[in-house]
Amino acid sequence: MAFLKGTLDILVLKTLSWGPMHGFEITAWLEQRSAGELQVDDAALLQALHRMEERNLLAAEWGVTENNRRARYYKLTAAGRAHLRAESERLVDHFGTITEILNARSA
Amino acid sequence: MLRPGIRRLFRLRPQSRDATHAEADEELQSLIASRVEYLVARGLTPERALTEAIARLGASLEQTRRALHQSADQRERRMRIREHVENWLQDARYAFRGLRHKPGFAAAVILTLALGIGANAAMFSVVDRLLFRPPAYLKDPSRVHRIYLWRTFDGQERPNTGVQYARYADFTRWTKSFDRLGAFIELKMPVGNGDDAREMNVAAVTASVFGFFDAPPAIGRYFSTAEDTVPEGAPVAVISYALWQQRYGGRIDALNSVLPIGSLKYTIVGVAAQDFEGLWPDPAVAYIPVSTFPAAQSARFGKQLWYSTYQWTWLRMIAHRRPGVTLAQADADLTNAYRRSYLAQLDADKGNTPIDVARPRASAGSILDARGPTASSVSKVATWVGGVALIVLLIACANVANLLVARALRRQREIAVRLALGVSRARLVSQLLTESVLLALLGGAAGILIAQWGGGVLRSVFVTGSDAGAPFHDERTLAFTAVAALVAGCVTGLAPLLQFRRADVARDLKAGMREGTYRRGTLRTSLLVFQGSLSVVLLVGAGLFVRSLLHVRAEPLGYDVDPILVVSPIMRGTTLDSVQTRELQRQLLERALAVPGVRHASLQNTVPFWASMNLDIYVAGIDSTDRIGAFFLNMVSADHFATMGTSILRGRGLNESDRAGAQRVMVVSDAMAKALWPGRDAIGQCVRVNVDTMPCTYVVGVAENIKQQSLRGAAAGDRASTGDAGFFYYMPAAQVRARDLGLFVRVSGDAREQIEPVRRALQRVMPGQAYVSVIPFSQIIGVVTKSWELGATMFVAFGVLALVLAAIGLYSVIAYNVTQRTHEMGVRIALGAHVRDVVRLILGQGVRVSAAGIVLGGAVALLAGRWVQPLLFDVSAHDPVIYGSVAALLIVIAIAASVIPAWRAARVDPNVALRAD
Repeated sequence: MAFLKGTLDILVLKTLSWGPMHGFEITAWLEQRSAGELQVDDAALLQALHRMEERNLLAAEWGVTENNRRARYYKLTAAGRAHLRAESERLVDHFGTITEILNARSA
Repeated sequence: MLRPGIRRLFRLRPQSRDATHAEADEELQSLIASRVEYLVARGLTPERALTEAIARLGASLEQTRRALHQSADQRERRMRIREHVENWLQDARYAFRGLRHKPGFAAAVILTLALGIGANAAMFSVVDRLLFRPPAYLKDPSRVHRIYLWRTFDGQERPNTGVQYARYADFTRWTKSFDRLGAFIELKMPVGNGDDAREMNVAAVTASVFGFFDAPPAIGRYFSTAEDTVPEGAPVAVISYALWQQRYGGRIDALNSVLPIGSLKYTIVGVAAQDFEGLWPDPAVAYIPVSTFPAAQSARFGKQLWYSTYQWTWLRMIAHRRPGVTLAQADADLTNAYRRSYLAQLDADKGNTPIDVARPRASAGSILDARGPTASSVSKVATWVGGVALIVLLIACANVANLLVARALRRQREIAVRLALGVSRARLVSQLLTESVLLALLGGAAGILIAQWGGGVLRSVFVTGSDAGAPFHDERTLAFTAVAALVAGCVTGLAPLLQFRRADVARDLKAGMREGTYRRGTLRTSLLVFQGSLSVVLLVGAGLFVRSLLHVRAEPLGYDVDPILVVSPIMRGTTLDSVQTRELQRQLLERALAVPGVRHASLQNTVPFWASMNLDIYVAGIDSTDRIGAFFLNMVSADHFATMGTSILRGRGLNESDRAGAQRVMVVSDAMAKALWPGRDAIGQCVRVNVDTMPCTYVVGVAENIKQQSLRGAAAGDRASTGDAGFFYYMPAAQVRARDLGLFVRVSGDAREQIEPVRRALQRVMPGQAYVSVIPFSQIIGVVTKSWELGATMFVAFGVLALVLAAIGLYSVIAYNVTQRTHEMGVRIALGAHVRDVVRLILGQGVRVSAAGIVLGGAVALLAGRWVQPLLFDVSAHDPVIYGSVAALLIVIAIAASVIPAWRAARVDPNVALRAD
């Protein structure tokens, strides 16, 4: 599924605001929250995670899953939290504007 | 979970590329496995679950892997950079805090470096302009050359840059190696009208000169070859951007307006590009066609034409070498053309030296004057002073290095603790380097300020005019300063590192608060010796130049300089007949004498070191006076000797009775009298001037010798290098019907203050457009002595700076050593050492160091002496008096610098010192 630029990042950051997760947990969480509406390509997700780690929005560490599998856990950094706040505000505004325009009727 | 910073702490080494890829693969694998697990739990078969999981990647497995490798690589790279930056910032913060706690230390280091770096920034802006930077806008500077002509005189080949227009035309015709040749002359000419007229720099250039540059005119156009033709070009001018702004307020209607330059009225056709300076350090305000210059100067050549005569050498030549032509080929081509041109000249003027004797040769040199064989002494001195500034910086660095070493020694325990705690040596090194680089950068910033304010003085003395080299406006100087500061920072930071490479953690930690026993710092001592020897080199240089200057000043010129003004009337096309000319000369003399403060005034047609004239003379019994040397003359009026302060040795001077129609008389110089009539009385002898059929001119007096071509003149009898053996004679202007006469005016008091009154008084009698220029004679002579004055002032200034820095360095090291040895001193005194012994011990240390510096620096100075010799005046570069005084001075300074610490050492109270543990 394709996303608007920057949207996936925000969703991932939002997901991680609930606590550290590994890649599959993030995509499963997103799917669950959206009742199956949001299906993120796994390749895109992992690249997004790398990119945000590079930008110091996320920190990563290897850990062990409930099923005893090694997995890379991601966690929000302070910078990531700040970014989430700023960007979610911007996105909400943005979509609000788009919605208004789409709802407009001729007077 | 971990803070991002912690990751850095635990992953000490950056990950390799392979490990990064393996990690990315594992992460991908883990994600696929988790999804398979999830799907299987939902009831899918493992096979279907795997297919589904791979489908969910959104791309093929291979593509995904590659994409992830890439993103992981990029992530690692960026994070590593960020870590470096963070480390560095942390170091910088740490260094900054450290310095804030030691403001005295920081100030000392920054000031020392600022002086060193500032001196270099200032000198760089000078040396860069002289030696490295091609003229602004010049296209392809490496292929643009000044043309040098070489001729052999008296068995010695000498370079020259002057050419005649005819020669330039020959070169354009007969060379094949160049796709463009140009010729130019730059000099002061009256610009503007009447009282508003001022002498300004004007460049007369061939139209081709503009083609050497890539500088489209600000408005209008440059003039073309069609406007620059013989016999006389079109009176069109291009003015400089600066003149356009000042005089015309940048208005467009400056175009097509008329600007009088010299004797002609020029129409302005264009304004040169902003900052266009042509080839000159002192930018011209206007550019006129070369072919209009003779008319603008009202130059006359009898029957000769300015463009075909070989007797008027006035231009300089530049040329652009064709691609693919080597320098050697170009030189051969030029020489060939010069020989052809020389033969053509011989055809026109049979009296010239035969070609086999003159051996004409030509070569293409750098476009930068100061790099060519005819570089002025001033630019050579500037280059030396540039080297001197570098030495000052080295001394400053040695000082700072010493301070940093001392500081590192004091911090030995702190450093040992940090090493013991596992801080890597690399980090520690980078911390120390950061500190010294930070200091050096601050020093550099302060240095730029010094260079900005102090450097203006240097630039104005070495390269006249423009402010373009001021560091604030010049990225080259800024870049140089930044590099100098960085290098200084690294070099000075290196010294404590050398110390610390040997750091022994266990020993340093065990040592008590007293920081262990005194250890001889070889490094610190060598730095001191190094400083001392550099100071010796500079001081010897200062001594040599000061003595040269004293000799130059003491050199008898044969006339006074300071009270004399030189007046030149510029006729600007106003022509007078001989009666009117005589009347004007009479009025000028009368007006000048009427100005309060004017003592004497006389007419002249040549001025020493400025303009000279020689005519053939014929004396009975001598085949050719030419063989004896060149005889120069001046056409003067009655009061000349009193005006100039030249004394008459025998016979009489010239007076009012020596008028036209009376017996023709002359006064000769002592050297001339001795050369022409050895052992006989010159008075009453007959000389035929110009042509051997002229009536006799009788010698009526012998005057003292004057210097008029070279300061090293008659005394040395050094004809070979100067062509001036002091052979000079004076004839009454009234008897030779001289035209174009100027005035010497002798005033009482400061000559400079009399310039305006004299100019105003004389301007009133000038007819029409004619104009009078008045300059102090000292300005002309100043040019001659400038290189020695500069050398002396700069070497003394930098030498003193070096000595002060070296003395501070010596003092701080000895003082530090004394505090280190307090315990030892206590023991010595307790065991019965006398004050005298202790003082001698400490003084001996300082004196030994400076003695080593004297020996080493003396040797270097002796070696370098060979190169400075040509710049000196009547002083041997190996002058023992100078070497001796410098050695004595250095020893005295060493003793002075060690006296306070020695006294302190001698006052150590053994009770206190020994209980300190």
